[in-house]
Amino acid sequence: MSKPKAIILRVTGTNCDIETMNSFKYAGAEAELVHINELLSAKKKVLDYDIMAFPGGFSYGDDISAGKIFAVKMAKLAEDFEAFIKDARPVLGICNGFQILVKTGFLPQNRGNKLAATLYTNDCGHFMAKWIKLKVNKKSPCIFTRGLPDEIELPIANGEGKFIVEDKKVLDGLLRLNLHALSYCDNPNGSMRDIAGVTNKSGACLGLMPHPERNLFAYQQPDRPAGFKEALAAGYRFFRNAVEYVK
Amino acid sequence: MANFETLLKKFTKLSPKELVQLDKACGWSLNAAELTAAQACFRRIRREPVRGELETIAQTWSEHCKHKTFSGPVRFRSKGKTKRYKNLFKETIVKATKALNKPWCLSVFKDNAGIVEFGKNKKWGLAFKVETHNHPCAVEPYGGAETGVGGVIRDILGVGLGAKPVLNTDNFCFGRLASKMKLPPRALPPERVFRGVVEGVRDYGNRMGIPTASGGIYFDDGYLLNPLVYVGCAGLIPVNKIDKKVRPGDLIVSIGGRTGRDGIHGATFSSANINSETSPGAVQIGHAINEKKTLDVLMKARDLNLYDAVTDCGAGGFSSAVGELGAETGARVRLENARLKDSALEPWEIWVSESQERMILAVPPGRLPALEDILNAENCEYCVLGEFTCDARLLVTFNNETVADLGMAFLHEGAPNHEKEAVFTPSAARRPAKKNNRPHLRTLKELLAHPNICSRHSVITQYDYEVQGGTVIKPLQGRSGDGPGDAVVIWPHSVTGDLNDFAGFAAAHGFNPPVGRIDPYQMALYSVDEAVRNLLCVGAEVSKAAILDNFCAASPKNPEVMGGLALAAEGCHDAAMAYGAPFISGKDSFYNQSKDAAGRQYPIPLSLLISALAPVEDIRKAVTINFKEAGNPVYLAGISRKGLGGSVYEEIAGTGDNLISAVLMKEAVRLYAAVLKAMKRGFVAAAHDVSQGGLAVTLSEMAFSGELGAKLYAGGAAAEKELSETELLFGESPSRLVMEVVKEKEQEFLKLVKGLPIRKLGFVRLEPVLDIQLGDKRLLREDINILKGLWKRELL
Repeated sequence: MSKPKAIILRVTGTNCDIETMNSFKYAGAEAELVHINELLSAKKKVLDYDIMAFPGGFSYGDDISAGKIFAVKMAKLAEDFEAFIKDARPVLGICNGFQILVKTGFLPQNRGNKLAATLYTNDCGHFMAKWIKLKVNKKSPCIFTRGLPDEIELPIANGEGKFIVEDKKVLDGLLRLNLHALSYCDNPNGSMRDIAGVTNKSGACLGLMPHPERNLFAYQQPDRPAGFKEALAAGYRFFRNAVEYVK
Repeated sequence: MANFETLLKKFTKLSPKELVQLDKACGWSLNAAELTAAQACFRRIRREPVRGELETIAQTWSEHCKHKTFSGPVRFRSKGKTKRYKNLFKETIVKATKALNKPWCLSVFKDNAGIVEFGKNKKWGLAFKVETHNHPCAVEPYGGAETGVGGVIRDILGVGLGAKPVLNTDNFCFGRLASKMKLPPRALPPERVFRGVVEGVRDYGNRMGIPTASGGIYFDDGYLLNPLVYVGCAGLIPVNKIDKKVRPGDLIVSIGGRTGRDGIHGATFSSANINSETSPGAVQIGHAINEKKTLDVLMKARDLNLYDAVTDCGAGGFSSAVGELGAETGARVRLENARLKDSALEPWEIWVSESQERMILAVPPGRLPALEDILNAENCEYCVLGEFTCDARLLVTFNNETVADLGMAFLHEGAPNHEKEAVFTPSAARRPAKKNNRPHLRTLKELLAHPNICSRHSVITQYDYEVQGGTVIKPLQGRSGDGPGDAVVIWPHSVTGDLNDFAGFAAAHGFNPPVGRIDPYQMALYSVDEAVRNLLCVGAEVSKAAILDNFCAASPKNPEVMGGLALAAEGCHDAAMAYGAPFISGKDSFYNQSKDAAGRQYPIPLSLLISALAPVEDIRKAVTINFKEAGNPVYLAGISRKGLGGSVYEEIAGTGDNLISAVLMKEAVRLYAAVLKAMKRGFVAAAHDVSQGGLAVTLSEMAFSGELGAKLYAGGAAAEKELSETELLFGESPSRLVMEVVKEKEQEFLKLVKGLPIRKLGFVRLEPVLDIQLGDKRLLREDINILKGLWKRELL
């Protein structure tokens, strides 16, 4: 079978696009960087791809709030994005990408795609980069986290990573359906219920604040034992799972 | 204020006194000799200049653009001997690089950054540049730091046909946060400067998607009125994109930001002392996203060969960028084509404005449409300012008004340079340390909490230090990801695109102003030694280290300042030769002095930052500082020697010792070669240099970063005779590092390092306690979690 095709969406200020593309390539996908201008001018169509990724960065400088302007630009192509998600084709939003998925209303999934949540300024008040431990929700329908151990380590690097939900019902529903695919062991930013990553009901759309593309290999981790027994690390699984799911 | 317009109209007839008056009124910072030279030129061509011409000359001849002090003649006198330099820079730093003649140096001292070879297949070059942005940060810390970062990134974008940045570095010097010195009006307290600078570096670097991963912070009251902010950037460039050549007929295209009133006279202001009249308007305003667009456009356009040359708009703005690119051709500029932030700008202001995020390209007319497509696709603004010519003239107009009409030769060769006086008086007799009975454990605890030693995590974690996914050896290392690394290792797969190519490079720094206060020559040796040793600690190929010099000093009109500079420059030469590490680029910043509250000149100490790069053959084998496994033996490499001069111990204990051990460079080079061999064979599980705070601090950091204890016998160390306990534990004599050796490999390790001063101190242990003995005597013993708690302070 031919390789699944991944579209890595970028705009002004996107900056984790290349390593995200490389991660999908390494996991066995064909991956392509596409500027949103190319979608708006109809040069390219999202529905021609099997996997979609929103990489990290500062889309449009994170002006107004992180991910907001990107989300507004996407509104013009809402039908295509909705069809892609409805099709349960894998969608991965990392960091700024998660912020975009939340600000478009795709996550957490909610009736009528009304904004049910936001990612707000960290409790510490500023950007924070560090490695953190995450609990993997084994009951989650999320396809990206399949086969991961109960606990993994990934780095976070964001200023607005505090996941908050306005309506308690939405939060309860999310927890009941196990859509909180990942949660922090030691909450670094004040997120409600320690939530670090959220999926939708199909499990094919995942947004998360930590960066799996920065932990593809054991030698990208801060604690380096003398000699590596296993080269592939937890981050690789996210990309490989998407490729396997499509196949 | 004198009526400068009247003075300008009769420029060729002005008296020397009136020339100085005019200079002051216009803010050029030219000296009397330079003003006279400029006047002579216009006398020769028998006409009065227009303001734009004198502005162009002031920018081009400014200290910032020309480095006239360092590359000028110097007469050095010390201990009754005199030495003359025609060009201090060429006769010391450049001389060493020429003599070393390394084939892997691809471009040195001529472009915006130095370039060395990178990787196995000779496909890539690695460019590195470090800049200072001191004066702007003193006046407006946030904006100054932001635009400093933006500026050095543009140096990398503008080297050759453009390199892709993969690492930002930042080294800061501030006054002590606890300082009680009374500040003059308008001077900002150190805490405010510190906070503003960190936020500026954070907000710009993070938005650019470049990891800010390497650097240092140093506190000393000498920097209270003049903080230092060193910003660096390294990037990868295909080797076939290193040469650039402007062709007559090429269009002058400015891409990126618009031109505004911000940053007028930044280049000339950097040569003036900061006082209450200094205008924050001389500091530019940063906009990282504009620069990110510029980066994205440049990389695409470069690979499609859409331009012949590129350079950044830095100090001097269009005037310097167009002047440099057109130096051998000539240029015709129509300023009415410039995109402006402010339509009320005077034509000469457009010409010299240092607004950020602008790059100048030389574009063959036929390729403009293709370039425009990319610019539009990335929403990046641009304008065509004019074209490069073949008449060796610089003609700048605004509609029909002449802004400048000058010969290129005059601009680039007309600057006079007079001989600077330099003297050095060695400091008074070196007093040996008085006996004192400080308990060692108390000293260790004070050292770990000292601002110059304690954790930098509260600063580092504000930077996105691993965007691009290639920071494999991080600034924070160890079990909990918070131990202090010696060097970072970058695996630039985001540029090469190859996750199966494990070539990387390490970056580190050496900096030691306290030693410089005692002996500027030794300071240069210490700094090179420390930078190289830091690279060694991660397993980098130190025989292929390339280094940068970055001098910051007070006024060069003071012969003592010039004396220190000359000695340090000689030290740079000797160290480069001994370590086989060529200088590939450098920068200097003078006039870092201001009047204190009492009106006296308050200068910074002579400050030399050595920044170094070296290849790492296989990033999977790079080494971190943290202890790895109980039972492994711990070795100290290098001889512990006498003297506490310039040490942090001396700062807290104040015994008056100013003895420093000279760096024994030949011995160090031999030692480092053997250590690297051991590392490559996988014998070394952890390595950490001995520097600020001495051996006890090094051992503490290795232990608590690895969450393991150690039992050590300090008497095992190779040491000079009659070394005191204090010197053994806290002395900062150079060329030493601690290694944890894999116990199964210990015999092979010992065979390999036979005959070298590498001695066993003890073992790593599971019990989380650092226990150091000397013979039967216990020097200190403490729980590593208590030591870590003292060290892990929130600086910000």
